Amino acid sequence: MALKKWLDKLTLLDLFDGLSVTGRHLFKKKVTIEYPEQKKLPSDRFRGMFRLDEERCIKCTLCAIECPINIIYIDWHNEKNEAGKNEKVLDRFDVDLKRCMFCQLCEEACPTVPKSIWLTTKTYEMAAYDRNESLYLDIRKLTDWREAPNVKPFTVVERG
Amino acid sequence: MTLSPMFWTYLKVVLLVATVPAIVGFVIVFAERRIMGFMQARLGPNRVGPQGVLQGLADLLKLVTKEDITPAKSEKAVHFLAPVLAVIPALTALAVIPFGPPVKVGKTTIPLWVADINIGLLFLLALTSIGVYGIILGGWSSNNKYSLLGGLRSAAQLVSYEVPMGLALVSVLLMTRSLSLVEIVRRQEATHLWFFFPGMVAFFIYFVAGVAETNRNPFDLPEAESELVSGFNTEYSGVKFAFFFLGEYTAMIIISCVAVTVFFGGWLPPFPNVKQLDFLGLVPGALWFLLKVSGFIFAYIWFRSTFPRYRFDQLMALGWKWLIPISLANILVVAFAILLFPGRTTGLVWLSWIFGGLFVLMYLLAKLRQTLARRDRLAATPQSAQG
Amino acid sequence: MTDDKLSRAEKDEAAYFAERAKARAAADEAGERTEASPGAHTLFDVQEMELNFGPQHPSTHGVLRVVLKVDGEKILEAKPDVGFLHRGTEKLFETETYPMGIPHTDRMDYVAAATSNHAFCLAIETLLQVEVPRRAQLIRVILDELQRLSSHLVWLGTSGIDLGAVTPFWYAFREREQILDFFEEYCGARLTLNCMRIGGLPFDLTPGWTERVSEFIADLPSRIDDYEQLLTDNRIWKKRTVGVGVISAEECVEWGLTGPILRASGLEWDLRRARPYECYEELDFVVPTRTGGDTYDRYIVRVQEMRQSARIIQQCLARLEPGEIRGKVPRVIKPVAEEVYASIESPKGELGFYCVSNGTNKPYRMHVRPPSFINLQALPRLAKGHLVSDLVALIGTIDIVLGEVDR
Repeated sequence: MALKKWLDKLTLLDLFDGLSVTGRHLFKKKVTIEYPEQKKLPSDRFRGMFRLDEERCIKCTLCAIECPINIIYIDWHNEKNEAGKNEKVLDRFDVDLKRCMFCQLCEEACPTVPKSIWLTTKTYEMAAYDRNESLYLDIRKLTDWREAPNVKPFTVVERG
Repeated sequence: MTLSPMFWTYLKVVLLVATVPAIVGFVIVFAERRIMGFMQARLGPNRVGPQGVLQGLADLLKLVTKEDITPAKSEKAVHFLAPVLAVIPALTALAVIPFGPPVKVGKTTIPLWVADINIGLLFLLALTSIGVYGIILGGWSSNNKYSLLGGLRSAAQLVSYEVPMGLALVSVLLMTRSLSLVEIVRRQEATHLWFFFPGMVAFFIYFVAGVAETNRNPFDLPEAESELVSGFNTEYSGVKFAFFFLGEYTAMIIISCVAVTVFFGGWLPPFPNVKQLDFLGLVPGALWFLLKVSGFIFAYIWFRSTFPRYRFDQLMALGWKWLIPISLANILVVAFAILLFPGRTTGLVWLSWIFGGLFVLMYLLAKLRQTLARRDRLAATPQSAQG
Repeated sequence: MTDDKLSRAEKDEAAYFAERAKARAAADEAGERTEASPGAHTLFDVQEMELNFGPQHPSTHGVLRVVLKVDGEKILEAKPDVGFLHRGTEKLFETETYPMGIPHTDRMDYVAAATSNHAFCLAIETLLQVEVPRRAQLIRVILDELQRLSSHLVWLGTSGIDLGAVTPFWYAFREREQILDFFEEYCGARLTLNCMRIGGLPFDLTPGWTERVSEFIADLPSRIDDYEQLLTDNRIWKKRTVGVGVISAEECVEWGLTGPILRASGLEWDLRRARPYECYEELDFVVPTRTGGDTYDRYIVRVQEMRQSARIIQQCLARLEPGEIRGKVPRVIKPVAEEVYASIESPKGELGFYCVSNGTNKPYRMHVRPPSFINLQALPRLAKGHLVSDLVALIGTIDIVLGEVDR
């Protein structure tokens, strides 16, 4: 045993082995994806930017109740529609993106089929130069991303 | 009008001082980052310029345009002087290094070195010692007790490793009996024997001590980021930091150049005995020199990306308890080999075969033992315990 | 700095020294001599320096402050000062319903989020006496072990960097990237997973997921061989880690240390074996144990745990059958008024949740037993007598995540 260890130590075997590992990696193919020219496609379940569908929404406010951080602010009022029945009309549907942790509990709570609020939009480029305006989404920005200039859609995924 | 010899000397000095920092900044910094990146399974910088070649320029511009901060209670004069003291010895050392054989330009023969003094090696060792001042003063003048500690540690390391470096070179001196670097190359040319072969042990000690001298991994504890601070150059920014940086990398070049000159034949092509490989002599000597030095710089980068760092007390123990006794023993062995066959190189040739043969044999034995042990271990452990 | 500020700094300094002199004089009068009295320094007096291994530091794995008392380079005392990342997680649990607490557990041990989710769900499932279906159990184990791999890869990389070996970090993160891709494909996020629900899982696996994971696991042993070739036999690595931070098994038990630290000291205690949960009873794996108790042993234990995790995942993938992924859980979760403690083996040690419910839909108290916090308590004991350079090795070997330490 002692002879083996002495032999290894003297011939610097461990050091040469280490050098061979890095030497091998010098010639291996690299897996780097060079952003922004190449972008990785997010998966189908990727939790990104919000989208809201106002027509499907039944204004049950379950999403606001389930949100762990209470960043969804919903206001609605009753109105009589043409048939004379009471109908809920959405006044305000705000999501404070500054504090959102993208946990998807709001989407899970939504009872409509298909969901009225969803995060699986594969969009993650929502950076903004000013926080308070661009990172506070109101109903216009949620339903139509063209109103939110800082949001760059990855691919527009329409949940039909 | 004939140009006086001094003209050529001045021209060479200007060229060296102008190109070497540029090479350091543009080529070595870029090469290090790119090669280290490749070894680490990633691409290095490849944005600035085609394939990233202008990264050195970007770094230089950034450092030069940074604010020059001097800590409030520091000694301003010393704070200013320290980087200068780190850079000047390294640049001065370039003067004695022979970059190639003398070239004929018209009727004059210009040697490719600035000065061939007959105490070349001693001059180089002396300059390395002066470089230590820059580090101590840099650490002390920052008015930061952690910088001071880092500077003192670095200085202790540098001073300790100068001894094995010198002793390793002494064993080569026994083979050449001259301190002049040009003379060392000529002797390797005359005897057709690169001093690496009889001086294998001396080369290993020299290179390890050289890596320690330049504060490079695995001996870079004084300037490691994961230690308390970045060592003596914490309080330096902008051009002053660039100077420290430049000094370290130029010292790397100097160590590599000396290793090439003393152990690997300087500008000589390999295999001079083999008639079939005579075409190698067509390649200009300066190009051979450049290739060899590049190989050593690659070795520096390779070491940096592979090895962990020695702790400071282990570092000092390695230098004093291992390298110095081994280099002393090496001197005795080489002297013995030379004395056995006075006036001829037979002793050295025997020594090369003994050293080389022994090392290759032991390495193969060790590798064989490792493979067998691995196979035994895999066969012995049940399937459940293996990965 | 203007002259005004300079003199203020000098005044502060003078005040500090005057105070120290007074304290020394008082100690001298009382008969206790902790340091040499002023003006009587001999060559052999201990001059201790108080050093702040500050919250901002490249190798404290987060915001950890360690107040050191050093003599030259030897550490006399090392006191961790935590709390920089405290976010009131346990209080948050009390103000929200049970399912809303799961995303918060992600952020405690953010490197191993699935295990934190798992422990939380396990505690509530024990309260509700809900049975988790078999397929969900198998997938939970797969996610846990993938997370263990990911956490150990992070540990390997950062430990290496702290000690100067810069390449294992990149190799480890290249593997970890694939694991994060698997998680992203499964639950939509890479780091803060929210991948378990009370009673089971939120989704079923996507088609092709199991094949990709199998491929990755088949490749993994050769990658781990690479890391081992770089580090395990390397003389410099051994010099930095052998004999550093030795702790015996009895002391581990006294201090309450669990996880790889305990196993490297000789005691073969792994909750997956000792108190099996989910389907660990039927799985065949070895619990790596070493007897030395130093940093090198902990390194070996963790690397071998990585290999064993790969085996566990292979076995679970082979046992997967179609089935339910969520047990019968009421829509509004109102457990009986009871207390329960449930713990699992997270990559860092024993992660437990002590849940006290009072019959409403919000817990009365949800206390976390964070392995990183309890393991960190041993830092003063481990660091005594070592050099400052060893402190980074020790913080790395205890493998803390500040999110869990501070919650």
